[in-house]
Amino acid sequence: MDAACESGCRVFKIKARPFRQRTCRNRAPLITIYGLQPRPVWHSTCRNAGMPHRILIIDDDDQLATAYQEYLSAQGHQVDCAQELEEAQALLTHFSYAVVITDLRLNKLGFGGLNVIKYIRELALKTRIIVFTGYGWPELRAEASAHGVDAFFRKPAQLAALAQTVSELAGVQA
Amino acid sequence: MKRNLLQTLVEDPKALSVRFQPIFRLSPEGNQVDAMEGLIRGPAGTNFERADVLFDYVRRKRAESAMDRSCIAAICKAVADLPPNARVNLNVHASTLGENADFVEFFRRQARSLALPLERFTLEIVEHAPNYNVPGLTCNLRALRDLGVRIALDDVGLGTSNYRMILDCHPDYFKVDAYFVEGISRDVDRRAVVRSVMCLAKEMNAEVVAEGAHSQADISMLSRMGVELFQAHLLCPPLLPQELCARGFLDVQTNAIPAGRDANAEGFKPIRRKLGGAAGEPVCQ
Repeated sequence: MDAACESGCRVFKIKARPFRQRTCRNRAPLITIYGLQPRPVWHSTCRNAGMPHRILIIDDDDQLATAYQEYLSAQGHQVDCAQELEEAQALLTHFSYAVVITDLRLNKLGFGGLNVIKYIRELALKTRIIVFTGYGWPELRAEASAHGVDAFFRKPAQLAALAQTVSELAGVQA
Repeated sequence: MKRNLLQTLVEDPKALSVRFQPIFRLSPEGNQVDAMEGLIRGPAGTNFERADVLFDYVRRKRAESAMDRSCIAAICKAVADLPPNARVNLNVHASTLGENADFVEFFRRQARSLALPLERFTLEIVEHAPNYNVPGLTCNLRALRDLGVRIALDDVGLGTSNYRMILDCHPDYFKVDAYFVEGISRDVDRRAVVRSVMCLAKEMNAEVVAEGAHSQADISMLSRMGVELFQAHLLCPPLLPQELCARGFLDVQTNAIPAGRDANAEGFKPIRRKLGGAAGEPVCQ
């Protein structure tokens, strides 16, 4: 039986009986975003009520990363930050992340963020990926898209919009 | 100036903290702490607090050598909190030994500056890279042996801790990885693998250490097979020297735990233990 989530999600097919017995922590309604094909999905925050999703933010801008971390933590997520490509790779190897948010340019040396995306795909992780593009290069964006990026944001991203997308991606499982 | 993570980890003496995990000798004659493995933790509250993340990062940065030296310096300082006769195991990458001709001199200086006899130490060789400098490694190992340092091969059976590494290092201890130990009481194949390592160790005049036993049944099975040395969270997790002292592992007259018993379990009765300084000497600072 199809039923709408209490928080207002209308694109999900959720079995009514088990869902009614739990509390949905995701208050934001789901919207279709760039790169996501509409499909019947589970709202995993309902299924795993009480379990925070693990999020990884990869950005060499300390202040910005901390701001995102604090905001997303306040939303109930467990958030780690990494400043370097190698640090991010080490974390991705040892922890399971629902969503990775990465800047495309790390350490101002090159496109480290793209390497993170490639690394995630090499490991065949189911991690959803959000990319910050401060520069808007279409080629780079196209390459990132080819590696299965789920959403793009232009820096600095609006915290509320970012949190909403994170919640949507974290709560969606195929 | 922007913080350099690696620089902080390698150069800041306060960045690394040390835990010690006892290696127990469980035998019919009596149980005792055979040695303490010094284990490094990164700065508390950071991603590097977990050793696996820390060393994964360091390897990706190809900074094993610098990190090994920092770890050895930190552990040597922490050894001062252990009883004067306690043996200590240190982890070193094979690449560090292979590529640093001055490593032995560095280690000797560290130990001498803290008045620690080198005979107390066992170097555990770890390696994750497939290639390392074999002549450099064997040369350093020979020099270390001449100074009284014993050699252990870590994670035997996994990755590069294979037959080639066994031949290159000729270890005094084979530390069998937890993968082969966990569930050995129920798995005949695991028993066959461990038995083969034991045969090899015996031929090479070495001892086998079983790492990561998860149950009393596994420890009992390994004991029946002839393994005497055990290192496992089940027996004692990595702890600060003060915590080891509080649990009685560092007291001169107190004891190791019986085979397969959790140190925290109720009804634990300490038994005779041989490790420690002379009676009356302070062992915790």
